[in-house]
Amino acid sequence: MKVVCRFEVRFSRFIDAEGKVVAALPDFARRPEALIPLYEAMVLTRRFDAKAVALQRTGRLGTYAVALGQEAVGVGVAAAMRAEDVLAPSYRETAAMFWRGVTIEEWLLYWGGDERGGDVAGPRRDFPVSIPVGSHALHAVGAAYAFELRHEASAAVAVFGDGATSRGDVAEAFNFAGAWRVPVVFVAIDNGWAISVPRTAQTAAETLAQKAIGAGFTGLQVDGNDVVAVRHAVERALATAREGGGPTLIEALTYRLSDHTTADDAGRYRDADEVSRQWREEPLARLRAYLAEAGVWGKDDEERMIADIDARIERAVAAYEATPPQAPEAMFDYLHATLPVALEGQRAAAMAADDDG
Amino acid sequence: MAETTLIGAVNMALTRAMADDETVVVLGEDVAVDGGVFRATDGLLARFGAARVIDTPLAEAGISGVAVGMAAQGLKPVAEIQFMGFIYPTLDQIVSHAARLRNRTRGRLACPMVLRAPFGGGIRAPEHHSESTEAMFAHVPGLRVVIPSSPRRAYSLLLAAIRDPDPVVFLEPKRIYRAFREAVADDGQALPLDVCFTVREGRDLTFVTWGAMIKETLAAADALAAEGVAAEVIDVATLKPLDEKTILDSVASTGRCVIVHEAAYSGGWGGEIAARLAERGLTSLLAPVERVTGYDTVMPLYRLENRYMPSTGRILAAARRALAY
Amino acid sequence: MTVFNLPDLGEGLIEAEIVAWHVGAGDHVVADQPIVSVETDKAVVEVPSPTAGRVARLRARPGDIVKVGDPLAEFGDAATSADTGTVVGEIEVGGAAIAEAGDARAAPRVKALPAVRALARKLGVDLALVAASGRDGTVTAGDVERAAKALAEAGPAQPLRGVRRAMARRMARTAGEVVPATVVDDADLGLWSDPGDVTIRLIRALVAGCAAEPALNAWYDGHEMARRLHGKVDLGIAVDTDDGLFVPVLRDVGNRDAADLRDGLDRMKADVEARKVPPEELRGATITLSNFGTLGGRYASPVVVTPQVAILSAGRVAPRVLAVDGAPAVRLALPLSLTFDHRAVSGGEAARFLAATIADLERPR
Repeated sequence: MKVVCRFEVRFSRFIDAEGKVVAALPDFARRPEALIPLYEAMVLTRRFDAKAVALQRTGRLGTYAVALGQEAVGVGVAAAMRAEDVLAPSYRETAAMFWRGVTIEEWLLYWGGDERGGDVAGPRRDFPVSIPVGSHALHAVGAAYAFELRHEASAAVAVFGDGATSRGDVAEAFNFAGAWRVPVVFVAIDNGWAISVPRTAQTAAETLAQKAIGAGFTGLQVDGNDVVAVRHAVERALATAREGGGPTLIEALTYRLSDHTTADDAGRYRDADEVSRQWREEPLARLRAYLAEAGVWGKDDEERMIADIDARIERAVAAYEATPPQAPEAMFDYLHATLPVALEGQRAAAMAADDDG
Repeated sequence: MAETTLIGAVNMALTRAMADDETVVVLGEDVAVDGGVFRATDGLLARFGAARVIDTPLAEAGISGVAVGMAAQGLKPVAEIQFMGFIYPTLDQIVSHAARLRNRTRGRLACPMVLRAPFGGGIRAPEHHSESTEAMFAHVPGLRVVIPSSPRRAYSLLLAAIRDPDPVVFLEPKRIYRAFREAVADDGQALPLDVCFTVREGRDLTFVTWGAMIKETLAAADALAAEGVAAEVIDVATLKPLDEKTILDSVASTGRCVIVHEAAYSGGWGGEIAARLAERGLTSLLAPVERVTGYDTVMPLYRLENRYMPSTGRILAAARRALAY
Repeated sequence: MTVFNLPDLGEGLIEAEIVAWHVGAGDHVVADQPIVSVETDKAVVEVPSPTAGRVARLRARPGDIVKVGDPLAEFGDAATSADTGTVVGEIEVGGAAIAEAGDARAAPRVKALPAVRALARKLGVDLALVAASGRDGTVTAGDVERAAKALAEAGPAQPLRGVRRAMARRMARTAGEVVPATVVDDADLGLWSDPGDVTIRLIRALVAGCAAEPALNAWYDGHEMARRLHGKVDLGIAVDTDDGLFVPVLRDVGNRDAADLRDGLDRMKADVEARKVPPEELRGATITLSNFGTLGGRYASPVVVTPQVAILSAGRVAPRVLAVDGAPAVRLALPLSLTFDHRAVSGGEAARFLAATIADLERPR
């Protein structure tokens, strides 16, 4: 009996948990100083997340999804993208969205229950947060199709989690992307958990990366806690896409060190020892160790950076809290390009009604 | 000016739209090489090429999802779902994304897509091919639902839907795809969305209907005319946003209203119209509002479908009840 | 509550400056999770949590110099966090138990379309007075117009007051509940030895009827579908006055002699005329007698007033041609009508009651 096809899934890592280089660094990482902006971006994400949780606990912010442990994936992906590319994020892509130019204030407005958080001033073409899990993978495919039709050099990047890879929409997105050979890169962040369901319950596939093979394109794994590995893989995948080589699926292995959201309590379903072990793999410590060892990062740098970041966050929180809620007619004014006549009466009624009706 | 059928008019509108605007693309199952199972997209591939006329994989959620992505990034996709019976996998993409994109980005991004599907029964089709669940979509804020009832309105309303900067679900009554012909000028003129069309004027009773039911409703109006009763017939056309003024004005003068739709009774869009009449037309009414609809049962297989769908006889009976009240 | 002190960081360091906290009060941490960055001579190091638990309090601020062994943070009880019971948003928790009350629906109103109601208002027509000719008992515009015309020709509306109002209310309430049936017959008074006190004889005969058929001396509760038979006969006597119909109650008529009954009746009539009947004397009748014959009339189908199940009415005593021993004879006849509530009394019971009543009436004395 002949074998019709085999497949392989490759894994890459450049900097290990101790901060040691274990493979020849790619060009962008040859000079250690070049990694400092990546480190700062990860610290920004982590400190913002802590602030967001504090705000939520004191009733100043709604439910929020922390990215603790995943910072390297978001920074690595976004750092590999160009401004003219388009990102289709899930709801945990704080790191990528900050890098792409979403402001802290805009991000706070979104989680603070205000649609103006979706009207970002920076990356005007990026998709907004996608709450229905994995549904945005298809959007990235459609966007990529549009870019190709218009002969633009842009590519689309969809980022989602391990749970998302069980969804039909994601499978359909892979299939469309492969069949159409469009310039899209899929990044599946395997952080081990979909709320309380572990990755092992999600699928029998040994890797998530191999789901690309079923759709006819390449899937590969990277150490998601190594920002160099993430960025390198995404850069190469984007180059492939731009050259007409079609899509790639990158599975970034990492760990969700936090609860699913501020309302979740992960202690209900997972073992504290497992989380402790995973803390030793986390992305910020290893990169700091590498930079310190390379002599390009010291305590003054750390202090200064943290002070800057915290000040930025405080300014953004102040601006967010000083922003009053939208007027009630805002519920109507962005439904359609022009307000249908049929809605004029309701809009007037909403404006006239106070809290008592 | 050539006479064309409703499906022919759909084809004309698609051709026109694609010729006028290079961002319009058509996608769906069997739409390119085969020209669509109802020939709605016949000839488009030859004229506009495979990059703009796309045979998709068999995946309705996928079709609607990539259409959202295309629309958000500057294309105007017209996605075909082969039958309304297969539209349900698109609900997440339509409700969660297409209908909300403009709203949740405060206008930064929009979703100018059209999702078109043949709908309704009466063609002796196998099961699941006779759905009439337009009320599901009409309930969704941010979404337009448009249903043509004649070749001319099919042409002009589809053009309007494609040109509209927001998402439209365009449901085509397949029972009358080829039932009659009408002179339709290929002049690129759109009809306004969000308005009802009074296709026949009358003082004694108001019929309100849409889609293929216009056929039986006009037959009932003819029968009444022979008895000296002048019935007004309104084609709703855009279910949502609803042009209630046209309906209310008509009932203000006739005092009697019979709503006809093929879809099931409970939760059908006729209930919405009856509620508007109760809210803002109550003192005009000389008789309770009548609804002639499908039953609250699953659409039967075709042997019984004519007993399910409103017949001219049932419509007439309702009209007579209203007149005799 | 445990205090976590700055651990020995090695290399002979005795103190460190707090650079940044990574956790805050209230946070749950696991062992090895970095909780604070501190600066030493050489570098900034992360200090990992020694334990899993909840951070209760931070004991130092960024910029503070902390000596090794000094408190860094306090860990609270290793209590579980409050289960929010959700993964997004907040679910309000209330303590109140609800108990839904039963229906308290009003009686159904007149049925009419709004346009018809508007017309009735315009014409000053009370819809309750209009006879409905429309489908399902709906009042039509035509009905309203006819009623308006009739009202224009009638006198002004006089609201019922006092006794009349009470009668209207009582009769209306009865009408919805009772299922009336009537049986009539005549008593042949030809054998009476003297003219006699018709009313007293009627009372005695009614008592005889109750003895023969106790079912007619009862109260019926339609809701419970239960019947109470009475041992005594407390007789309601219909008394007509200018102000309206009174029905005072003569108690225990079965155990009083004729003189006592006559005396009671006279006193009752006087009280009624003087409007001195105490309210309790108008209640509690177990059966009613209406002797309208003094005014005129022969048969009737009087109204059974719940919870009673029967009312006997007597028409005018008058000579009639009756068959006596197979030949016509002119005899004084007393027409009797017995209306009974067919929910609680059968036709047979009513017939037997009436027969016994008549048998007693026909005795010479």
